[in-house]
Amino acid sequence: MSTSVAMQKNHKTHSRWFRWRFHLSGLLILIPVVLTPFYIELMSLFGGANGLGERVVGTQQVGPWTITLAEQFERGPKLDGPAGYMKTFNGALCQECAEQVKAVYMRLGKPRSLRTAGVIGFGSPYHMTFSMPVPENSASDADLWLTLEGWDGALHHAQWSLAEASPATVQFLQQLQEK
Amino acid sequence: MNPNIEAKAPRKRTQWWFLLHSWLAMPIWLFLFFVCLTGTIATVSQEIIWLFDSSVRANPPADAGKMLSFDEVIEVIERDAPGAYVEKITRPVKSQFALTAEISYPDSTSENVFINPYTGEIQGRAASGFNFRQFVRAIHGWLLIPFNTGFTRYSLGWYMVSILGIPLLLSLITGLVVYKKFWRGFLQPRLRFNRGARVFWGDFHRLAGIWSIPFIFIISVTSIWFLIQGLLFEAGVPFNGVSQAPVYVARDEIPTSEQGRPPLLSADQAIAQVNALYDNVEAQVLHLPSTAFGHYRILGRSQAFPLVHESFLVNPYSGAIDEAMRVTDQPGLMLTRLSMRALHTGDFVGLTLKLVYFLFGVLLTMMVFSGMRIWTTRTFKSTKAAIRQKTARANLAGDPT
Amino acid sequence: MLNSVYRRVALVTLVAAWSQVALAHFPFVECTKETPDIVCLGGFSDGSSAQGVTIDLISYDEEIIASKTFDDHSRVQFEPYDGEFYILLDAGPGHTVEVDWNEISAR
Repeated sequence: MSTSVAMQKNHKTHSRWFRWRFHLSGLLILIPVVLTPFYIELMSLFGGANGLGERVVGTQQVGPWTITLAEQFERGPKLDGPAGYMKTFNGALCQECAEQVKAVYMRLGKPRSLRTAGVIGFGSPYHMTFSMPVPENSASDADLWLTLEGWDGALHHAQWSLAEASPATVQFLQQLQEK
Repeated sequence: MNPNIEAKAPRKRTQWWFLLHSWLAMPIWLFLFFVCLTGTIATVSQEIIWLFDSSVRANPPADAGKMLSFDEVIEVIERDAPGAYVEKITRPVKSQFALTAEISYPDSTSENVFINPYTGEIQGRAASGFNFRQFVRAIHGWLLIPFNTGFTRYSLGWYMVSILGIPLLLSLITGLVVYKKFWRGFLQPRLRFNRGARVFWGDFHRLAGIWSIPFIFIISVTSIWFLIQGLLFEAGVPFNGVSQAPVYVARDEIPTSEQGRPPLLSADQAIAQVNALYDNVEAQVLHLPSTAFGHYRILGRSQAFPLVHESFLVNPYSGAIDEAMRVTDQPGLMLTRLSMRALHTGDFVGLTLKLVYFLFGVLLTMMVFSGMRIWTTRTFKSTKAAIRQKTARANLAGDPT
Repeated sequence: MLNSVYRRVALVTLVAAWSQVALAHFPFVECTKETPDIVCLGGFSDGSSAQGVTIDLISYDEEIIASKTFDDHSRVQFEPYDGEFYILLDAGPGHTVEVDWNEISAR
């Protein structure tokens, strides 16, 4: 009699574990729960609700036009498969010049020609996106060169040192090149 | 256990199939339940927004005439916010919805604007970026785990979710094997409410299961495809076909202009160019050129093969159609990818199909739940001997936990 | 403290919005010095080949020495050039990649 009670008790604890371990996969639901605030933050960044990007670099007068530059994220470049490391900047033209500027290009280092002016900013003139390749051997004291091409064919350049434009990229390059 | 099933010969083999069926989903049932539930909500997420937000509805006036053309939509926005830049206009696939335009403002913010397709009234606005529809999709599709973290190029969550297609498909197959003469369930449906939870859930599980055979098959196969698609992408296999370099307008084809932007083709003119050369194209989505060297991108659902969108790139300076991607022009891998996605989401016919997907989504979610209920009631409410036997069998079968 | 952790996680959270759309389409090119030719292999980051895309060998004084297109295998060959030059993949305005002569290694 008493042994059977003990056995039942033993069985009860066993069955509780037995029962609950099959619900453990529910812990995976915690992943989206935890990530939700980050997701919302990120989406508002993409949507421009937080402005041009996570960190605004500054505004420059370029010939007759003005352009504002921002880092999409305050961090180093990201590896994109075989294309290598890419760093994303956003740019905004002033409302008056949006109709005058045909294209804005960006590259690390001085461009040789219009053809090699770098990556083109795409999207709205008030929120252009530049995905700029950052070669692993880039000098960390390099300059970021922007080329603004007018519809009339005029070319104007703007320059930021990489240290101003993206301290995180400078840090990234230094770490990469130390290795 | 159900004597109808286990008593039949050959007993041993049936038992083996039955054990496999029982153990496939049990260790992951709650996660699977969550994914099915969020997927069910995701199919009708647009309709849910419709229910709660009147500004996304079409609201036709009594004398509803023609719908606004794309040019008229652009005019509405120019009047509302001079200087604003229109990035994309989506015309409703389903006549219940308002037009949506993605707008970027001079202060670098952007918005989705909902426009009455008949009157041109701006009915509402929402900050672009976060929205309920994308949020539910992202939870269901990849648990919000970011893409391209360095470890994998797709999200890790994408794989965690899509791999569930395998136990789902195996559950369907093993379920049909152990459910002897399942086709009789169509003729003699049985759902007993008065014989306790175990009997009710058992009846439900079998009845919902046989009616959902095509749906479960579609969902599990498309999920397995999503897994394959991710792996193909990691391996660098192109979906656009090997020789699909992007198309841009050449620099010397663009007129110079002393007075700023030269006159471009209007959106309606671009669409007219497509319609002049191609039959049966109804423009649903219009992307405006994203650079001075870009094209109008016009998307319309194929009428011959509605699982797939067709796309056309119209040169905004010359009106030439520089790329036409009709169904037959798409490489096989791209067609597979587009069709699989449409089959998974059920968004290629209209509201009716969405509701059908929703209904079967609810059934599938409840099947996961009922499967768990059957498993636990059977295991815990039955005799100690049965438990011991089950444990022994489970060990034999190799505990998947 | 919490804010910085929060921010760091947010930073890692890139491209989560795009499942179908954002298959990045960045061009790349790698050149090696074979004997005697320079061989370049091009492509796009989504896996597409560069077949038919223009690639030029340009001297430092901006003279186009050779202008070619990638072949069926997304490769192209240039005869050796004695002087300083760069190789430019040109998939369209603003969609270019440069390889400088001193970045071309022997195989």
